[in-house]
Amino acid sequence: MEHLSYVKPLYAPFLCFTHHSFSLYSLSISISPHISTSIHNIFIFSYSYSPSTHPHFYMGPTPYNSSNSSSSACSSSTKPPPPQPPDQMDHLLAGAGYKVRSNDLTQVAERLEHLETVMVKSSPVDISDIGNDAVYYNPTDLASWVDSLLTELNPNVSGSGSGSGSGSGSGFVSGSGPAYVSDPVMNDMNNVYGEFGQQVVTPIEEDVSIRLVHVLMTCAEAVQRGDMSLAGLLIDDLQGLLGRVNSGCGIGKVGSFFVDALSRRVVNSPQNGVVQVDLSAYENEILYHHYYEACPYLKFAHFTANQAILEAFDGQDCVHVIDFNLMQGLQWPALIQALALRPGGPPLLRLTGIGPPSLDGRDSLREIGLKLAELARSVNVRFAFRGVAASRLDDVKPWMLQVSPKEAVAVNSIMQLHKLLGPGGPRGPPVDLVLDWIRDLNPRILMVVEQESNHNQPEFLDRFTESLYYYSTMFDSLDACTAQPEKTLAELYIQREICNVVCCEGSARVERHEPLVRWRERLTGAGFAPLHLGSNAFKQARMLLTLFSAEGYSVEENEGCLTLGWHSRPLIAASAWQAIPKPSVVTTGR
Amino acid sequence: MLHTHNNILERETKREKHNISINDHNDILIEVLQRLDGRSLAAAACVCKKWCSIVRNDALWEHLCFRQLSVPPSVGVRSVVLALGGYRRLYLMCVRPVVSRLKKRRSNGGHTEVVRRLWNRNEVELSLSLFCVEYYERLLLGDGGAVGGGESAAKSLRFLCKTVNV
Repeated sequence: MEHLSYVKPLYAPFLCFTHHSFSLYSLSISISPHISTSIHNIFIFSYSYSPSTHPHFYMGPTPYNSSNSSSSACSSSTKPPPPQPPDQMDHLLAGAGYKVRSNDLTQVAERLEHLETVMVKSSPVDISDIGNDAVYYNPTDLASWVDSLLTELNPNVSGSGSGSGSGSGSGFVSGSGPAYVSDPVMNDMNNVYGEFGQQVVTPIEEDVSIRLVHVLMTCAEAVQRGDMSLAGLLIDDLQGLLGRVNSGCGIGKVGSFFVDALSRRVVNSPQNGVVQVDLSAYENEILYHHYYEACPYLKFAHFTANQAILEAFDGQDCVHVIDFNLMQGLQWPALIQALALRPGGPPLLRLTGIGPPSLDGRDSLREIGLKLAELARSVNVRFAFRGVAASRLDDVKPWMLQVSPKEAVAVNSIMQLHKLLGPGGPRGPPVDLVLDWIRDLNPRILMVVEQESNHNQPEFLDRFTESLYYYSTMFDSLDACTAQPEKTLAELYIQREICNVVCCEGSARVERHEPLVRWRERLTGAGFAPLHLGSNAFKQARMLLTLFSAEGYSVEENEGCLTLGWHSRPLIAASAWQAIPKPSVVTTGR
Repeated sequence: MLHTHNNILERETKREKHNISINDHNDILIEVLQRLDGRSLAAAACVCKKWCSIVRNDALWEHLCFRQLSVPPSVGVRSVVLALGGYRRLYLMCVRPVVSRLKKRRSNGGHTEVVRRLWNRNEVELSLSLFCVEYYERLLLGDGGAVGGGESAAKSLRFLCKTVNV
């Protein structure tokens, strides 16, 4: 008897059957307007039955390979059932080979829950009795199959419909139990688990949104298993659902990006070819600039980093800043101005900007350097700029940066380090090598700003779930921005990230975000000590946010690091680090 | 304020006895204008050419920006601000929206707010930083485009001009 492991189910379940596991997806109905909390209430749990002990558990006429479950005891033919009128039968389950009326879904789900409790309570003897018998019931007609099992196991229980297991059409009466609308407080597990027999009433639009999320998860799970045919069917489903939901905002918009990404992955397998087209450096800069305008995440990153760097450079006369991703250099004017106004006068500032090589002849690094130099000259700050063109950060060698031992060095990495977490060469992942040479530079401060999410898990489904939640929250926050074209292009920028997380694999997948706790481990392991971001940075960040029109942003302090989030979900984390000098090897003689 | 000036002119043209005209004494005019708020100052610039040229003097706007500061700004600020576009621009682009936005936020928080409040160093520094970013964006734009309009707000400060969603 296979051990049943499960998580306590929530209300209004949907069902989906796969070839050798019995998965029950269940969503809670939440009235919250935020899509992020809707997704937060999805729980997936599965029971796995070993097919060999339940030879009667034949998964009906399905188009997939059910490896060892097609027992010879089953007498059903393997051709798919005749197509049912779509408005009656749930077409999602019909695609999987089951005939259940849409009206009966909640009832059938309740009965399955009941079946679960009964099976758990039954002695193993009773269950194996069933297992030893020949096939009784064709599980295609799910409703009557469940009923028949229930009556088998517990003759005291009588279904509300026909109890016979002959597999004829479902004869259940649509439930007329007391209607029950969940209220928003009931999001915690203890209250929502309703008693057997209650029904849930949901508004239609919310139904579609929840269904959309559910189908997304199912599709992702199919992709993880490699079942591309089912995934393709589900994507068609998703396109249909997207048509019925408002795609201008909320789950419709972020859902459409995820559907697009999934369909790309299904059509072009990531192992075969390029799934995401590279943009030119110029186009990347434009998207980045609009993302900078539309929402405060980059501004928060820049201002916090500048404040920390300013404090680290206190009292130094020669300072050198190394920027891992120069783009248009939007971070540096504020630092130049702050250095110009610092008591004691400005230091000599050197800036080394790393950026991708431009293929169209424009030397964008040099142009940005010239503009920054012009600004520095206006405010009387001695300034020198150097550009380093490299397509990947691990191509940069320390000698290219020309760090002089007399100057104070600051290394600034805004959302760049996660790109180094991919599969590395023989010497390990690139991030360790890069952190090593950063440490060799002996910087007074290493500023790290990263997305606060875990999109680097080995399992695709985990990544998908996490990124769905993360980007829904981010799109929620973006809804407050009304400036066009900034908003559209910012969405396009985020869409590219989503596409990379979902579609790409191997070295093409560069958006490997990891949460702050993992970065802390990694950086302390690489020989860095944390620096606390002071209260000035915190105050400045808070002030910056009050200037933004939306009220939902929140800045939090987390063990010396600052995080910016939307409604208490942190989305971006800024931390500062100092290199611990390597123990020098004492050489004797000579 | 403006009515008083008109009255004075009227009386002068009528009587022509006294030779005192506010327009003859720039110092007094400046002293008076220094006490105005930003909106009145801008309106004063529309009165006549002389007033316009006086109001365009950056010193007035410097006074407007920093007279409410609890601690006077450090010495180097003036050269920086002048390099980045001047005090009038600083007021229009940064100081006024920042102060009004922060004031609105505080009063929405529940407690009443004195109209003329002292604003602190942090707010000054933030305004200056934003001003610098705005100058830089104009530099970036200035090369590629032929816009040239000095008063057009660079994109990065547009969020300050929007009304607050409460």
